Amino acid sequence: MNSDRSYAAHASPDAADDIDEAELAQAMRVVPLGAGFLAGTAVALLVLGYLLIYLLVFIPRGSVG
Amino acid sequence: MTELHPEMHERRILGTELLWAFGVGVLIAAVLSMIVFTALSIGVNPPSNVERIDPKTLHLSGEFAEDNLGTTVGADGRVVVRAVATQFMFVPRCIAVPAGRPVTLRFASPDVLHGLLITGTNVNTMVVPGYVAQVHTVFTRTGDLLMPCHEYCGLGHSEMWATVQVVPEDQFQPNSEGRVSCAQR
Repeated sequence: MNSDRSYAAHASPDAADDIDEAELAQAMRVVPLGAGFLAGTAVALLVLGYLLIYLLVFIPRGSVG
Repeated sequence: MTELHPEMHERRILGTELLWAFGVGVLIAAVLSMIVFTALSIGVNPPSNVERIDPKTLHLSGEFAEDNLGTTVGADGRVVVRAVATQFMFVPRCIAVPAGRPVTLRFASPDVLHGLLITGTNVNTMVVPGYVAQVHTVFTRTGDLLMPCHEYCGLGHSEMWATVQVVPEDQFQPNSEGRVSCAQR
């Protein structure tokens, strides 16, 4: 509960904004790159797993059609 | 460092999203191309067979009558397996098939929707009442394979499974009627 109250105090619109704009701009420049890298890596691993199973397991088992 | 103009910021976001969409589009196109290529070059297709059968009478006469169930080797050497998927068992409970030889599996259901797969193979089909499910395959490894029902069919669903006994070609000996049963062990 205490932490909620202190969070509310910090989040109040009247509280002083002590964030350095330059640092914020720098962070906003880098964070999307990190998000893109993380998402890209996750998708790449997923596709790699799919390809390995498709080519090394599914195809060698032969057609059933 | 100067702050980006809001319009520039929007354009950067749009550019990133378009780049991501392009990448995903390339991936989807690559996967679809691979599926089409394998379908055309080595015939990898999902099992498709539209063949109707009356679920109310299939057990009385014809192909899926009890006498015809199991493994049959035709005069032309074709190996055909016929089985009924019913609540809550496969009839027969054990299916004998040869290794390294094309086998046609045919299933029908007299009651509700069932499904089956054979472990370690690509055999995987639904058994829809009113239709014959047909799958062609070649078993490459000998041994006993599990064939469970994989479509929930009622309270006894988890007890519904059969065994596929894959035997070496030289041990696959049809009797005088061309029938082959599982070896008793």
